[in-house]
Amino acid sequence: MNIIVCVKQVPNPEIPASKFRIDSAANRVLPPEGVAPVINPFDEQAVEAALRIKDKHASKITVITMGSGTAGDVVKHALGMGADEGVILGDKAFEGADSFSTAYVLTKAIQKLGAYDLILCGRQAADWDRGLVGSIMAETLGIPVLTLARKIEVAERALSVERVLIGGYEEIEITPPALITVSNELGQPRLPSGFGLIAALRKKVPIWSAADLGVDLSLVGAAGARGSLLKLFIPVHQRKCEIIGGENAPADLAVKLSAAGLI
Amino acid sequence: MPPTLKVFWYAPGYIILYLLLVVALGFFINRILYLLSLVRQGNKDDRFDQLGKRTGLFLSRVAAQWCTLRSFSPKDLSGIGHFVLFWTFVLFFVNYAYLFIWGAWHEQTSLMELSDSFSRGFSAVLEILALLTIGAIIWALARRYIARPKRLDRGLEPAFILLLVFLLMASHFVSEALRISLGASGGPVSSILTSVFAGMNRGAQQVSYYAVWWLHIVVFLSFLVYIPYSKHLHILVSPFTTYFKTLRPMGVIEPIDIEKAETLGVGQFQEFSWKHLLDLYACAKCGWCQVSCPAYLSGKSLTPKGVIQDLGDYLLGRGGVKANSDLSLSTDVVSEEKNWACTTCGACQQICPVSIEHVNKFIELRRNLVMVKNRVPEAAQRALGTLIKRGDPWTGALHLRTDWIEGLELKKLSENSNVDILFWVGCTGAMDERNMKSTIALAKLMKQAGVNFGILAAEESCCGDPARRLGQELIFQAQALRNIETLNRYHVKKIVASCPHCYNTLSHEYPQFGGNFEVMHHTELIARLIDSGRLKQATRRDKRVTYHDPCYLARYNDIWQAPRKALSATLGAKLIELERRKRETFCCGGGGGHMWLEEEPDKRVNMLRIEEVIKAKADIVATACPYCLQMLEDAIKRKDLTQSIAAMDIAELVQIQQEKTA
Repeated sequence: MNIIVCVKQVPNPEIPASKFRIDSAANRVLPPEGVAPVINPFDEQAVEAALRIKDKHASKITVITMGSGTAGDVVKHALGMGADEGVILGDKAFEGADSFSTAYVLTKAIQKLGAYDLILCGRQAADWDRGLVGSIMAETLGIPVLTLARKIEVAERALSVERVLIGGYEEIEITPPALITVSNELGQPRLPSGFGLIAALRKKVPIWSAADLGVDLSLVGAAGARGSLLKLFIPVHQRKCEIIGGENAPADLAVKLSAAGLI
Repeated sequence: MPPTLKVFWYAPGYIILYLLLVVALGFFINRILYLLSLVRQGNKDDRFDQLGKRTGLFLSRVAAQWCTLRSFSPKDLSGIGHFVLFWTFVLFFVNYAYLFIWGAWHEQTSLMELSDSFSRGFSAVLEILALLTIGAIIWALARRYIARPKRLDRGLEPAFILLLVFLLMASHFVSEALRISLGASGGPVSSILTSVFAGMNRGAQQVSYYAVWWLHIVVFLSFLVYIPYSKHLHILVSPFTTYFKTLRPMGVIEPIDIEKAETLGVGQFQEFSWKHLLDLYACAKCGWCQVSCPAYLSGKSLTPKGVIQDLGDYLLGRGGVKANSDLSLSTDVVSEEKNWACTTCGACQQICPVSIEHVNKFIELRRNLVMVKNRVPEAAQRALGTLIKRGDPWTGALHLRTDWIEGLELKKLSENSNVDILFWVGCTGAMDERNMKSTIALAKLMKQAGVNFGILAAEESCCGDPARRLGQELIFQAQALRNIETLNRYHVKKIVASCPHCYNTLSHEYPQFGGNFEVMHHTELIARLIDSGRLKQATRRDKRVTYHDPCYLARYNDIWQAPRKALSATLGAKLIELERRKRETFCCGGGGGHMWLEEEPDKRVNMLRIEEVIKAKADIVATACPYCLQMLEDAIKRKDLTQSIAAMDIAELVQIQQEKTA
């Protein structure tokens, strides 16, 4: 099978929430210094899902990511786990993208890669948690999409997928080429093996720019974003505690609660 | 007439003697060649350097028998027995050499029969040793089969060997006594024994003499043939394993050349170095390793002796499986469970009389498990995953590497690299709630003493020790290269590390990758600051304090004086010593990646260690390692002793005293 996995770099989700700061002028999250961003855990599971297919059926796994700077590290990570090829989509024009403009660039890259049987994405990115890119890509590419997979098996002519439901799962068959988003119920992704890490170190990962992809510049990055972030802030949770004492405490309490509209 | 010149049937004795020798040597050499052919399949390993040091090692450990004598204690006298047997064997060997080279076709067959003063002295010493050997054999049999110490196996092989040695000694005495009865002179013990045969007539004495003399020769030659097939192979091999013993600091791990590596770690025996294969022949099953092993003593399936035996049996096809079968050493021959039970404390390696290098074998097997077979216990996998992604092994840590610095006003190298020494904090010291306190104490101490130091803060990354000890060499190398690059960028020359694992890695393992720094442990720094008067001698008299030596400090790096010095400078009373201490310390259970491996609740190493602390009736157990601190504190909590015993880092103790006296 020819499998393409889309991965994204996110701030390490293990950073305690209290350590984040907000740059409210630029509407940006500032992760604490010295903690490197990582591969989105759901995307790591998508890579694992691809590898589990490859363990049983001869497959070629290509990993693509959109991003600049250290974003290429997540491709190396996937290569270390056992993926075969990697591509980085890096261009200044791609910055400030939302789900739509990201999906657009990814579909362009997938079309450039050529034939494929299966596209895998994580169910959502652990930074903004929107979970839209996969579905938009399937729509654009005109292929069937299945979300929240916890198991993917290759059957005769179709793929047999277990899809997570609340309190259970459903089994669905889907015909390739198709797009599936993978959920964390899939299980622990493997660690990069020794030889995997060596291979990843040696592998040259090409960087494709906007020109390489031949994209319409009005549809990528901030220009192509269809939504805009109005205000980013850390909500303030406040608790007030008032101790009601005295002989008439129960009655006083009832009056107060009633005044607050709680009873 | 000596038995070698007498004609038996048609052949003179010496012809029969040489025929027997040729047959025995044939078997012997054939076996030795086979054993060598297996060893030669091993990988390269340069052990031919430092001739002088190696010769010294040979003289002290083999000739002077320090190999077993150093484990001597009133509870275990076996070192003395071994000394006696060893030198008896050597003298007998000299005597046989004389017989086969010269005596066989001369009137005097052995040195016992010569009358010059050297030979008289020689026979006297040999006979006294031989008599002591008989005593040692009886005592050894009684000990092994009746007293049954934990480190020894029973079974038939040891009894058979002891019986052979006994026969050798007994036949010597009897044949010598008979020869003396016939009118010759001989050794002192045999001379006394002649009275037993005084009643025999001369003819009977003559016949008995020949018979017992030949019996002695046959026993000796059988022994020669038996040696290379038995655990007594150690007689032949251990001088070599001792001579070729690693001379590097203990536990230093050989790097894998990533550019050239065809395999990672050891799955097939050919992937071990020749020294590691030779080690497998050297094991005498003495079991000292076993009774020193924290894994074995805490009830796990691992025993170092068992693993060396299993590997050796497999190599020699003793279990019926040939060494070239499809079995993998890292999963089939040594189970994964055993593999992961090792804490790399090095106690086995340190006590081993024949210088077997256990720990490095385990690491090689783990490398194969982890990097080739991708078999990593889940908890360790999480730690390694975090290490790859975040540069520290503490999955789920609530603190960032820089949290502890707040309010201390320390120099960060990124802002000011004009410092004398770098304080390497380590992940555990920086991120673990408990250890942050000792890190802060140390930083305060250094400030107080006017040490011009700096920290890397967010630029510090895990030294890589957990990855390397868990068998993930590539993650280790990535970490090492990254840190060396950072350290060189700031032209760091001197480092003080508070974690013995970081200390060990930075000082002994980074040079493998071009990182050469002068590293000291914080207890060494504190001891120096006290010496130079930059920290006050401050005494407290109210607490009973004991000290737990971290393995990677005391055993690996021989640093056990500095911590004691640092401690005693703050203690009014004498330090209470634990039973197992200094280089012979006992593991806390946290080394070798065990901070990140699950341990069955009833088989915890730290619970064994805390027993000793309780026995010492100490109020405070001081240590100098973040892992040890965590493990000891955990054990104290489990024992519900938080009211009576506290675990503290030396830096904390010193700092508290400094503040009190300030």
